[in-house]
Amino acid sequence: MLERILARWQGLALSLIGIVSISWLALSGQLGLYIHPRYFVFTVVMAILGGLLTLAAFAVTPEKDDHEHESEQLEPAAPRGRWRVVLPLAGIGAIALAFVALVIVPPSTLTTATVENRELNSSATGVESDTSSHVELAGSDVSSLSLRDWVSLLRDGSGSDFVVGKTTTLSGFVTADSSDPENVFYLTRFVITCCAVDAQPIGVPVYSPGWSSTYAVDSWVETKGTFALNPSGKSSESVVMANPTVSAIDQPAQPYAY
Amino acid sequence: MPMLDPMISSPPLPVAQARATSRHRRGVIGVGVGLALTAAVFATRVLAPSSTADQLPNVARDFLTLSISVIVESIPFVFLGIILSIVVQIWLPESLMQRVLPTRPVLRRAVMSLLGVLLPVCECGNVPLTRGMMVKGLTVAESMTFLLAAPILNPVTIITTYQAFGWDNGILAARIIGGFLIANLIGWLFSKHPRPEELLTRGFEATCRVGHDHASHAPRLQRSVVAFSSEASAMLPALFIGSAIAGLIQVGVSRDVLIALGSNPVWSVLALMALAFVIAICSNVDAFFILSFGSTFMPGAIVAFLVFGAMVDVKMLALLRTTFTTSTLTRLTLVVALAALVLGLGVNLIA
Repeated sequence: MLERILARWQGLALSLIGIVSISWLALSGQLGLYIHPRYFVFTVVMAILGGLLTLAAFAVTPEKDDHEHESEQLEPAAPRGRWRVVLPLAGIGAIALAFVALVIVPPSTLTTATVENRELNSSATGVESDTSSHVELAGSDVSSLSLRDWVSLLRDGSGSDFVVGKTTTLSGFVTADSSDPENVFYLTRFVITCCAVDAQPIGVPVYSPGWSSTYAVDSWVETKGTFALNPSGKSSESVVMANPTVSAIDQPAQPYAY
Repeated sequence: MPMLDPMISSPPLPVAQARATSRHRRGVIGVGVGLALTAAVFATRVLAPSSTADQLPNVARDFLTLSISVIVESIPFVFLGIILSIVVQIWLPESLMQRVLPTRPVLRRAVMSLLGVLLPVCECGNVPLTRGMMVKGLTVAESMTFLLAAPILNPVTIITTYQAFGWDNGILAARIIGGFLIANLIGWLFSKHPRPEELLTRGFEATCRVGHDHASHAPRLQRSVVAFSSEASAMLPALFIGSAIAGLIQVGVSRDVLIALGSNPVWSVLALMALAFVIAICSNVDAFFILSFGSTFMPGAIVAFLVFGAMVDVKMLALLRTTFTTSTLTRLTLVVALAALVLGLGVNLIA
């Protein structure tokens, strides 16, 4: 009995949960926490189509219900004994978990736990042709350069001549520099190519002795500073943002870099 | 089945009409219940306190964020796949596939593997579509060839791979040709199976049998909705479980280990195949993702990532388990992995 109810409603319940969650994220402008903006339209269109079909499925009773049930009865491999109890319970558990994860728990960005897991600036994300054209376009006005542009300039050894002495304002969340955690922190963001699963952390190092007494790891800050050679002897970064003015900010609506 | 309510079919209505009225009424009630449920879930979502996230440890938060991102990314493709599968099963003329496809098995599978050009769905959407093809009467081997080839041999994937790599090191060519060959190799291997129905799970095999000899008289629209409901029941639990596993692995396994192996000709291929397996990213965009690692990896490793990841990963295995038996999937995974490894090592030798 339970099995049959589940077989009929499990898919619709999960699709309802998914669709409500997606449309709410889209309406409240938070879809960007999970996927790249180029998928917004496709995702919303398919959620609407799926929603219409789900509603229609509520209206239609499967015609061949009896037929299917008969053949189920004949199934030699239909779950027996303990599985007969466990499988439906697992199904209900899955729906409950999906409900809690997608409908109750508030959406959030990735945290430092993932930064630790995926080495900062390990990917060559910045070293793409469009960065150099950004830099050329910017000329002496560097205010238009993004965190990502700066990261690639810092990585690219030849860029350090250009970088030193430039002043800019950048924002990101705080993570500690593993080689000199007392004096240097990173302004960090995740770069997303498709969805949060492929997020790669990037960061610009900031020299600010004793920063951890004022700003918590994972909190969002905006930093104004001038790039200079790193005064820290321990840190592995050669160029950092020095003499920074740091101020706490709310997490921006667009927390990822693309 | 006709649960005729005597109250509704009161005085002299003919039975058929009464049945239609009662079905209509039940339909209206059903939509009402559906709308009410949707509104209730939506209200819960809007009213859920926004502060609870801070109380969760970071690892748990990231596990949720990663799993949800896989779900949000994949659900649209699964819906699209289900809709296309319904079109194939219910709206295409019965004989069209059989008429259009060549009769020689090898050629049939070759044509099947190019079908992705017409149906550019990501790999997770291909699972319901493949199921639809088998219900429609195509053989297991032919459908499997389509399943493995379509994520690679489709215009969206080819264009994004070209944008990411151009003609560098033959990555694009190796991906396309390698994908085609591996899919047809798998199709050929499984076509040798003496009892192909044993490759399928019992439940799905029963659906196929019903699909063959059950000429339903219900209107197509109604059958389409019923098919949506049953496909959603098969696919979505698997998708949610697959996403949770993918999220769990992402939180648990440090990516540094895999990337550290990048410059060794042999290990880099294996490391990137492992990465492709756990990251479960869509074949339409995986080229951009792997490009972001730039020079870290050798070209053969990138090809192995692009070919293996498009065919097999944790999320796909969860979805495929709805249709194929565990031993079928084990064999499929092993053969695809070996072939992708050979392909990757070959590219590394040449490049």
